[in-house]
Amino acid sequence: MRWSRVQAVARKEMLELRRDPVLLRVILVLPVAMLLLFGYAVNFNLKRIPTAIWDRANDRISQALIHELEKDDKFDIVYMVGNEAELKQLIDRQQARVGLVLPAGMLEHIRAGKGVKLTALVDGSDPTFAFQAQVGLQKAVGRLNARLIAARMLAGEAQPPPLTLAPKLLYNPEGNTAAFMVPGIVGIIITQIAVILTGLAIVREKETRMLESLIATPVRPGELVIGKVIPYLIIAFVDTLLVLWVGHVVFAVPMRGSRWLLLALVFLFVLGSLAIGIVISARSRTQIQAIFGTLVYYLPSIFLSGLFFPIEGMPRALQLATYLIPLRYFLEAARGIMLRGVGLETLLKPFVLLAIFTALALLLAILSFRKRLL
Amino acid sequence: MKAVEKVRAERLERRFGHVLAVAGVSFEVYGGEVFGLLGPNGAGKTTLVRMLSGVLSPSQGDAIVDGISVTRRPELVKERIGYATQEASVYPFLTVRENLEFRAAMYLYGTAVERAVAAALARFGLEEVAGRRAGVLSGGWRQRLSIAQAVVHQPQVAFLDEPTTGLDPLARRTVWDLVYAEAERGMSAVVTTHYMDEAERCHRVGLVYRGRLIALGTPQELKAAVRKKYRFYSIPAAEPATRDGHEGVVDAWQRGGATRIVLKPDAPVPAGAIEEEPSMEDVFILKIREENAHALV
Repeated sequence: MRWSRVQAVARKEMLELRRDPVLLRVILVLPVAMLLLFGYAVNFNLKRIPTAIWDRANDRISQALIHELEKDDKFDIVYMVGNEAELKQLIDRQQARVGLVLPAGMLEHIRAGKGVKLTALVDGSDPTFAFQAQVGLQKAVGRLNARLIAARMLAGEAQPPPLTLAPKLLYNPEGNTAAFMVPGIVGIIITQIAVILTGLAIVREKETRMLESLIATPVRPGELVIGKVIPYLIIAFVDTLLVLWVGHVVFAVPMRGSRWLLLALVFLFVLGSLAIGIVISARSRTQIQAIFGTLVYYLPSIFLSGLFFPIEGMPRALQLATYLIPLRYFLEAARGIMLRGVGLETLLKPFVLLAIFTALALLLAILSFRKRLL
Repeated sequence: MKAVEKVRAERLERRFGHVLAVAGVSFEVYGGEVFGLLGPNGAGKTTLVRMLSGVLSPSQGDAIVDGISVTRRPELVKERIGYATQEASVYPFLTVRENLEFRAAMYLYGTAVERAVAAALARFGLEEVAGRRAGVLSGGWRQRLSIAQAVVHQPQVAFLDEPTTGLDPLARRTVWDLVYAEAERGMSAVVTTHYMDEAERCHRVGLVYRGRLIALGTPQELKAAVRKKYRFYSIPAAEPATRDGHEGVVDAWQRGGATRIVLKPDAPVPAGAIEEEPSMEDVFILKIREENAHALV
């Protein structure tokens, strides 16, 4: 291993990258564009849910509840109706997605110390939506309950109100989707830069017959692989920092844990992904083949990593398959560090598994990068 | 010519599946010699060069390059040779100088790289385009850069695979001049080509056909050998049909206003025929014809 050769390969690769206008755009614009896209479009934070109410009570309590619902902008009360059939119809037509029935005599019931049962009709066709709407309703009811309890205590009344369940969201109380997505986007971008760009970089040499020229020089496979990988390692780091910065500025994504631990995690993941890129490119003859090879790796990574779909919800066989997906470990650890602020002692398992993956991938990369043509 | 042996191919053979691309080829190349590997497309020239440069391992046989076996120590061989692939391999986004620097750094390090690059720029007349991106160079200049890259570290032996294919005659001449200039400082060059006239420019030539070496020698020796078997005539304004009418006509073809015929030595000479010297093209075509005749038997 001669370091001057590694350096020469890395320098050459950097020069090529810097002068390729398309690649430069892919490297700098794509990550930010993806972050904005995911941050805004794939937003699971519901706002202004169209809501219809059948207010049979029409007293101080029912008014107070309506006020609570409107307060945090989660619900938009678009219809006040006179019977349940109307309510159902509005939801059927999607003119309202939540219908709420406030029973008659709410104030009297509360005064008498009796519980009041509220009926909510929620459009359950989209489970994510249904869950969020229910949480929103619970929160509004919870706030009102708290006020009522306080008022009754002040009035010196003895009877406590019926117990109510108030769900509390940990780590991400605002339900900020971007906070949840940003670690995932970092993972996707690293996968893209590392696997796709590295793959193409090597196949490009093959397609232009440069590899044959290189093979005829004393450069060793290890020197070539390391030299080629260094620029992409740097790019992946720059992109990661870029995405974290934009995520912080635009979407207020928190960074609660150790930055150094996150960088160590990024380093491990980038290295493993680069190695996969090399394995794919070593087996592809053309850039098109390399792109397809990349997709075979990339798509399962996205769907099985827990980025969009929780792993807990997958069938058993697929759950086992997620252990083969390095992005899974990256996400687990990145979310842990950024959102929960936990350290290595908690994240030992994903770190160790990711390190094993990276070591195996590197070994495979050097083995598959045969120096002879056939 | 120095009699130092720089390349010795020993019954080199290479199979790709069932296809025998190179079949038992043996020859030697000496110090300072320009050795031409001549043959049609698909004859096995590139496969042969790849084996000699340690890029491809032979299925059988061996080659000793600058005293080192390509099968046993290909890595050592690579340090002593230069190799230019068929298409000029240059990085289009890198300048001429950067391309040379990159290649030189594969062999040398430290200040030796800069010195080698400066020397190569001068030897190959590339100084005026040193700052230009290789992608914008014309074919001739790109080929010049490609060869400069292959010999930037001043190797003992250079393998140049079809360095003149696709170039205009002037650019071709330049390439050969550059190859000779390198040979003059002691380097041996193995150059493949399918241009017959270029064979005349080599010190010695090996004819490759269907993976086999069917003739080996200096252009003069090869021509003398065919002159023993055939006679060559030019008949002004005659028809190529002469082939059928006359006894002992081996070959005949129209050439400008005349017909060139190849006769067996004892055949009657047509009236008005002028005897000519055989060209390398004659050598090549007759050798292939003999090969094919053997194959039919």
